[in-house]
Amino acid sequence: MKRLRIMGRSNLAGYMFILPLLAVFSVFMLYSFYFVLRTSFFKVNITFLKPSFVGLANYAIALGDQKFFLALLNSFLLSAVSIFFGLTLGFLVAVLLRFKLRGRGIFHSLFFVPSMLPMAFIAVIFGTLLEYNDGLLNNMARFLDLKFLDQRWLSNPRLALASVSAVSIYLIGIPIMYYTAELATLNNSVFEAAIVDGASFRQILFLVLYPILKNTHMTIALSLLLGGFREMERVYLMTDGGPGGATEIISTYIFRNSRSAGANLGFVAAISVLTLLLAFVITIAQQRVNRRMRR
Amino acid sequence: MESMDLFPVSKRQRAVMLAFLLVLALLWVLPIYSLISNSLKGAGLSNFAHVLTNKINEMPFFMYFVNSLIVAACSCVLTVGIASLAGFAFSKIQFVGKNLIFNIVVICLAVSGAIVLVPFFFILKTMHLYNTYFAVILPEVTLTLPFAVLMMRNNFDGILSELMESAYMDGARLWTIFARIFFPLAGPALINLGVLQVMWSFQDFLLPLMFLTKNRLFTSTIAINVFKGEYGVVGPNIGYLNAALVLISVPSILIFSFARRFIVGGLTAGSLKE
Repeated sequence: MKRLRIMGRSNLAGYMFILPLLAVFSVFMLYSFYFVLRTSFFKVNITFLKPSFVGLANYAIALGDQKFFLALLNSFLLSAVSIFFGLTLGFLVAVLLRFKLRGRGIFHSLFFVPSMLPMAFIAVIFGTLLEYNDGLLNNMARFLDLKFLDQRWLSNPRLALASVSAVSIYLIGIPIMYYTAELATLNNSVFEAAIVDGASFRQILFLVLYPILKNTHMTIALSLLLGGFREMERVYLMTDGGPGGATEIISTYIFRNSRSAGANLGFVAAISVLTLLLAFVITIAQQRVNRRMRR
Repeated sequence: MESMDLFPVSKRQRAVMLAFLLVLALLWVLPIYSLISNSLKGAGLSNFAHVLTNKINEMPFFMYFVNSLIVAACSCVLTVGIASLAGFAFSKIQFVGKNLIFNIVVICLAVSGAIVLVPFFFILKTMHLYNTYFAVILPEVTLTLPFAVLMMRNNFDGILSELMESAYMDGARLWTIFARIFFPLAGPALINLGVLQVMWSFQDFLLPLMFLTKNRLFTSTIAINVFKGEYGVVGPNIGYLNAALVLISVPSILIFSFARRFIVGGLTAGSLKE
């Protein structure tokens, strides 16, 4: 028998309620998709005057453009590092904060605060901290005579991406939050068998708890993966994509190409379309996982 | 916060856990120490007075905040309004094409600011909104709506449906039911969403960077960029830069420390089970 879950049935009323959404969405989102797709077949500059049709040429340039693939790769690497710290350090801290420990509330706030602050703010602080001549890290390294820590963190092409990624250590607030929410729903009986069997702390952590939370790991990983496409200020303010393009990510690449003088916006549109398609795939996977979890 | 242990542990284990967290907290103190000590370089506390009293780029310091507040407040009101109406419709009203529209909206979670930078620029120019507050407000609302609508639908799904049992209803009755019963019941979720949108708006960097080029409109994240250019991350003015950063961060930290439970509530409701 069909259960009556939905109570109102009215096409007119339904569309009246979603009218504001449709208005904003059709002007800004759907038209954007149309515009970016159409522009990707043209060669046109920022004035949008006199576009010339070039077919798939912009896509050919994009797919042959090493810098584009490097930017995509770097975006994924940045996400990968965030995911790594989220699923290891974030998991561990979330579990530890579920025990009665002195100053637990302070720890909670401390680890969460960087995730609430503007990334632009965090980026400039770390840009200063990692600065070669007078940054805190290099000053400490010199004071303690630790030569290996006295590096050009942001201007050495081999280190710059790692340095920018390392800031992810401080961004475990959101993973901690997801784990905390999920841990609160766990039943104590989960641990009883393990404790009766004399399992050690480490065994309970990695053999009991870690597998139970596999959906949470997935949620965190997918949301951080998608977050990689949203990254901008960390790279823009710490290295501005440098040195020599070593830390360029997708957002800074699109931004740079759309701002450079006489830029072909058709090419920018083509890389936007390709990036959007990738992001759609990740979002579909994410929504599948989330729906599975809600059941 | 739960007051019980997750599972029984020995005294020694508890001590090890606390020690680990303390070491980790030390790592967190490093950037804070770097910020504070740099903010005092040069002229000490008078760096703060300098930043507060001098115009930077012809703008008094507090105006960057005023701009951020205006943008955040407007995008918060618009997001909450639009998303609560749509969330209610997607959850409680049966209409043709509902699932299709909902799925299209949700998949737009994929869209990030950079991807739509060029079309947004064109649309804003065409609508003569470039270099107005709306050049940032409307794109921010657009980019948050997929999350907001998903969150509000989940929220209304969790509110009992027996309140409105008859299958056919006209718009006026549905509106009354929404305004009198469901909107008030959604209060906590609306607050969570509103706080989240304010936070995201305060964090936003790319949209104001791209769509605001007049100093008088700059928001506080763009101020960070301006100060970085004006003072530099090295050299004699590093004290000013860091003093400005401290001043920019204080209101955010205060606001969001009080609002943390709303942020956590909103984010976990948006993607995890209730």
